Amino acid sequence: MSANAKTYGLLAQFDTAAGIFEAAIQVRDAGYRKWDVFTPFPIHGMDDAMGLKNSKVGYFTFCGGFTGFFTGMTMIWFMNKFDYGLVVGGKPLFTPLYAFPVSYELTILLGAFATLGGMLALNRLPKLYNPLFKSERFKKATDDKFFICIEATDPKFAEARAVLEKAGAAAIELVED
Amino acid sequence: MNFPVLFKRLLALFACAGMLTFASARLLAAEHAPAAPAHGETVAAAHDAAGPVGTTAHHGHAETKEPTFLEAALYSYLTAYMFCLSIVVGAFFLIHLHYLFDAGWSVPIRRINEQLASLMPYMGVLSLPILVFGPSIYPWMSIDPATDHALDVKKILFNRPTFIGVIIVCFVLWSFMALRFRRMSVAQDKDGAAQWTHKARFQAAWGIYVLAFTLTVAVFLLMKSLQHQFFSTMYGVYYFAGSMWVTLATVYGIMRILAHRELNGVISKQTIHYIGTLFFAFTVFYAYIHFSQYFLIWNAAIPEETFWYVKREAGSWWEVGLLILFGHFIAPFVVLLRIDTKMNLLVMGPMIAWAWLMHYVDMTFNIMPVLYPNGLHLTLLDPLCWFGMAGFLGFIFWKNFKTAAAFPLKDPRLKEAITHHEVPAPGAAASHH
Repeated sequence: MSANAKTYGLLAQFDTAAGIFEAAIQVRDAGYRKWDVFTPFPIHGMDDAMGLKNSKVGYFTFCGGFTGFFTGMTMIWFMNKFDYGLVVGGKPLFTPLYAFPVSYELTILLGAFATLGGMLALNRLPKLYNPLFKSERFKKATDDKFFICIEATDPKFAEARAVLEKAGAAAIELVED
Repeated sequence: MNFPVLFKRLLALFACAGMLTFASARLLAAEHAPAAPAHGETVAAAHDAAGPVGTTAHHGHAETKEPTFLEAALYSYLTAYMFCLSIVVGAFFLIHLHYLFDAGWSVPIRRINEQLASLMPYMGVLSLPILVFGPSIYPWMSIDPATDHALDVKKILFNRPTFIGVIIVCFVLWSFMALRFRRMSVAQDKDGAAQWTHKARFQAAWGIYVLAFTLTVAVFLLMKSLQHQFFSTMYGVYYFAGSMWVTLATVYGIMRILAHRELNGVISKQTIHYIGTLFFAFTVFYAYIHFSQYFLIWNAAIPEETFWYVKREAGSWWEVGLLILFGHFIAPFVVLLRIDTKMNLLVMGPMIAWAWLMHYVDMTFNIMPVLYPNGLHLTLLDPLCWFGMAGFLGFIFWKNFKTAAAFPLKDPRLKEAITHHEVPAPGAAASHH
């Protein structure tokens, strides 16, 4: 470790899904903000147990879809009526009717892009490095162990060890940045 | 007056109104010879001052002719009938969905669907006036195929014996399937055996093909054949999409009403959320299907297809079409977009009533322009038929609903539906640690 190594957080290991579920509820109720749960598989109800609000990704999706729809409509209006009027099949130069399929597809396309982009941005991904990778124990998070990490930046970090011990952690270790 | 009593009395009232309408329509049918309608026909006189009823005994559908009282009654009846059939068929389909996806969350509402779908035999009986008075409803039934090319090429399907036969076969099949679903589900209430789930799943697997095929044919005959020249392969799925929409609204409403009564403690937040989500999904799906049908016809611009929509742009039918666009799709789409509105009864209560109205408008838009080409023409018969039929079916539904448990008591997936997302709220857990 370098001399100026800072504490990243406290990593607690749990051995069962039920154990970490209960522990998450306790950490949530203790008022922690900067913490996360790592499990080998999704645990139903964990969002509520962690006190997570509904994801904000939906707003990105809405904005993306909205942009897509109006891009499609405007683009077709501009090209087919305004810039270079072209009669196709005896139809009007512009009507939302025939512009709809393209606008609709663009709604979906940009909506999907915004969803993916929004998800990555909110999760601060891609991220090539995480201090938790230093922990040998943490590798089990993809196998059969369950982890809670409370970050050092949380205002209540001082009592974190006590809270995790009370929650029934099988092992607790300090992770450095 | 407590709720069940009020509910029962309302239903009984609706049922009586419906039977009265029906009886008066039949009586008038018996004396439809050219006669002055001045005496006794208060209903007809009150709402239909536009023209003398029954000026001709002939039931051909020349467009200029004023509809007879029998025709007006039958068209209102058909509109109400297709509305009610939507909910019964939609609930029937939801049972299939439940088993095919091996869903857990929809276990608590499955009995509602089963009881709704079990109205199928009654729908079969209620189709009798349509079968008996067919020629007064469907113009093609009184046209000689030799004089009408469009009918001639479709006469394999569009002839009376086939019409009657197909509808009977459909209702026998659907009744058998729906009642079997309910029987297996109720049997599981006693022993909790997984075999009932397995059997029902097997039936759902073949049943969904039967339903898709028979429903398409039935809707072609009952509704699309009103204008036998029309072509649209999407018509079946169009009716289906609207049906699912109004069914999900209905099931949502019934579920919320019963959530603190018969279904107390079994309706979890996620069940409400998921039904709301499906309701939203079918808002979009209906728009997608109806737009696709319109767009393909508009784009191809073939007279054999466009006439159907041209007719529906005449007079106030144009506004009705716009009402469907904005009221059936855009407004519900915006309202249902957020999660919290889908869970909020203050929003969803009016939304359900609106969905019922919009679906009725949709059925009217499909059926009524044939009889009233100049624009929307509402008569007292419309609400009477609707309230009568919906009241009668609602009464039977409620009667049946009380004969069995309100939800599948011993379904293997019931527990997960009730509990698997239940987490104590912040602060609640701290007390016992």
